[in-house]
Amino acid sequence: MVLKLKAEGFQEFQAILNDIASKKSEDIFILFSGSKDTTGQSWCPDCVEAEPVIEKALESAPEDAVFVYVGVGDKSFWKDSNCVFRTDSKTKLTCIPTLLKWGTNKRLLDNQCNKLDTVLMMFED
Amino acid sequence: MSSRSLLPQFFFSIERHLTLGVARQTNFTRIGIRRVSYLKQKSVLALSTRHLFSDVKGFIPCHRFLSSNMPPVVPKTDPIKIVEDLIKNNRIAVFSKTTCPYCIKVKQLFSALNLEIGVIEVDTREDGADIQDALLQKTGQKTVPNVFVNGEHVGGCDKTIEAHHSGRLQFLLNKSQGDASVEMTDAVKYDYDLVVIGGGSGGLAASKEAALLGAKVAVCDFVVPTPIGTTWGLGGTCVNVGCIPKKLMHQAAILGQSVEDAKTFGWELPEKAKHDWTTMVGAIQAHIGSLNWGYRVALREKKVEYINAFAEFVDPHTLKTTDKRQKEKTITAKYILLATGGRPRYPDIPGAQEFGITSDDIFSLPHHPGKTLLVGASYIALECAGFLAGLGINSTVMVRSILLRGFDQQIANLIGNYMEKHKIRFQRGYVPIKLERIEEGSPEEGTPGRIMVTSQNEEGELMEEEYNTVLFAIGRDACTNKIGIEKANVMLNPKNGKVICDEKEQTNIPHIYAIGDILDGKLELTPVAIQAGRLLAKRLFGNGTLITDYVNVPTTVFTPLEYGCVGLSEEDAIAKYGADDIEVYHSFLTPLEVTVPKRDGNEGYAKLICVKSLDEKVVGFHILSPNAGEITQGFAIGLKLGAKKADFDNLIGIHPTIAEVFTTLNSTKSSGADVLQKGC
Repeated sequence: MVLKLKAEGFQEFQAILNDIASKKSEDIFILFSGSKDTTGQSWCPDCVEAEPVIEKALESAPEDAVFVYVGVGDKSFWKDSNCVFRTDSKTKLTCIPTLLKWGTNKRLLDNQCNKLDTVLMMFED
Repeated sequence: MSSRSLLPQFFFSIERHLTLGVARQTNFTRIGIRRVSYLKQKSVLALSTRHLFSDVKGFIPCHRFLSSNMPPVVPKTDPIKIVEDLIKNNRIAVFSKTTCPYCIKVKQLFSALNLEIGVIEVDTREDGADIQDALLQKTGQKTVPNVFVNGEHVGGCDKTIEAHHSGRLQFLLNKSQGDASVEMTDAVKYDYDLVVIGGGSGGLAASKEAALLGAKVAVCDFVVPTPIGTTWGLGGTCVNVGCIPKKLMHQAAILGQSVEDAKTFGWELPEKAKHDWTTMVGAIQAHIGSLNWGYRVALREKKVEYINAFAEFVDPHTLKTTDKRQKEKTITAKYILLATGGRPRYPDIPGAQEFGITSDDIFSLPHHPGKTLLVGASYIALECAGFLAGLGINSTVMVRSILLRGFDQQIANLIGNYMEKHKIRFQRGYVPIKLERIEEGSPEEGTPGRIMVTSQNEEGELMEEEYNTVLFAIGRDACTNKIGIEKANVMLNPKNGKVICDEKEQTNIPHIYAIGDILDGKLELTPVAIQAGRLLAKRLFGNGTLITDYVNVPTTVFTPLEYGCVGLSEEDAIAKYGADDIEVYHSFLTPLEVTVPKRDGNEGYAKLICVKSLDEKVVGFHILSPNAGEITQGFAIGLKLGAKKADFDNLIGIHPTIAEVFTTLNSTKSSGADVLQKGC
């Protein structure tokens, strides 16, 4: 079973990274998304579109994979060019949604995340 | 029978067609075209038509007739039309002079090969000079003989004989038969509309364009590891082991110089800045890794199937693919595009493959290369030596004879001089004959090991020297010998293994095409392959008609001082137009940024090569300076548009830049005037 985790904001994200470091999984996938409001809806329409596609594709991910869903914050927090997710040397995000395989150069950006074909590539590789 | 005696009969038939209206006229045109294709096929019918119309001259009088009775279609015998007609109506067309020995030689060649030719002897006709002007306009060649085969320009005597030796002549002759006899039918169902062999710049561009136009496309890409085991991802030479890492390492070297310069501009830095090889390689490889991934995503997004397997022909429409687990698959395709590129060549000497490396290995070398020997005078050898020395690595270049064969030799020598002044040692006149391992390298400690290189000069004198790394850059071979190309009967130039194609990148097998570094007689440059791939896909699957223009392609050699050029080298310009018809404007130059650090005055150089008889049209542009690539790219459009020296003079410079030198070039080489720059 793929281990699915959720983080809200940069600090929780860092904490989860520390936790899963001990698992030594080679397949850590992270989805950065616009945070959800009280109704469970993200303010970022592309992220809303991507979520079910990624959910579906996760069925093809390796058994021991870890999937982390990260809410990067509300719209004004994310749009700030000094947003920590944009400036941190490990994340260096330029857009959301971003789906990446941690520790590799593999990233899917924007609407690449809502096409089953490309998302499957990320998990099956 | 002379053509004139046929005229009355001919007039009559045209007149009738004309009175019968447009439909008939179309009919007439079609008959004309058919006659040509019969001629090409050299059938019995062609011979009889030939009797009827004598030679090409038969067509011209009818136009005269039309012009006298109707609004003038062709006011006088247009020399361009005379040229076009001879080319169109003859499988082999030769423009010649009766007295010229080269013309006689060419005609003898065709007669020895038992081939019929159509000839215009320009020295026997009043409009001979006009015809030669028309030829100059069409081909850029003024001299005779001027030979065309099946509509394609071959060139003069040397070019024709060369084409005969390389197989190109036979290829062009066979082409029309292929065109006529092989009709592509969709009755046969293929797995793919297009399979591209080779996922380099050209192959990827072609496959994506074809898929965009609705074709079902697959790309086969498989990197055969180097002798020391280096391998890489999707994208071909340029991205993985060529342009991209090369330019980034060049940049790393330039930064080293900039750090030194910075101190003179007031930056307070450590006495000696240190460079870490593994950090650089790691960063560059990370970037390349993201590019490899990006290409795969792009293929997936555009619905191109990526087959990570080695493809070889089973028959002209069928390929066998073998992946790294040795799993085999058979696929068929309506069209096949060869885009396999090239790989570095090793010399046939003991130890070369065991202990030597090439440009395929250097960019991902996990350890510092240490003292390095670069063998070869190619741009690859010089570029690698340049950035290695710039990173503070002890670098020696061993060359047999001249530097940068094929490039402008004056500039090649300036590059050599500059490199020699900047800590790169040249061993001229020597070739290595043996490599021996003295000490193994240690991957754990990141040390490169020691290699003894024995080399020899022409006099047979031996020389021994120890190095840590030996990099061969003596040339590249087209990857055409392991893909079962003989099973598809694709013609190669036996001399270099490259694929012979026409101007539409079509091989002798009509459904098989080739682009990129494996094309015989074309340029080995990424953007050329990309352009060829895109336009080819548009012609095959869209309604594209454009063909790739291989003339005036700009390029840059990224030696420490970059060299950008477009058009002809001085040697080629002299060969083409004659030394008397060439004027060279030139100047040495000193970039402003080197003045404060007080380094390198007058190391840069700029020249324009102009043709006097063409109103000083610029046919060669050369610049040796920092950022030469950026400068050359812009000016290249000027050459493509036929810029004259006066246009350069009329252009206003941007001050202070290096490129502004081209707006004020007023010293000619022939004047012998001093062209060293003396301050602002």
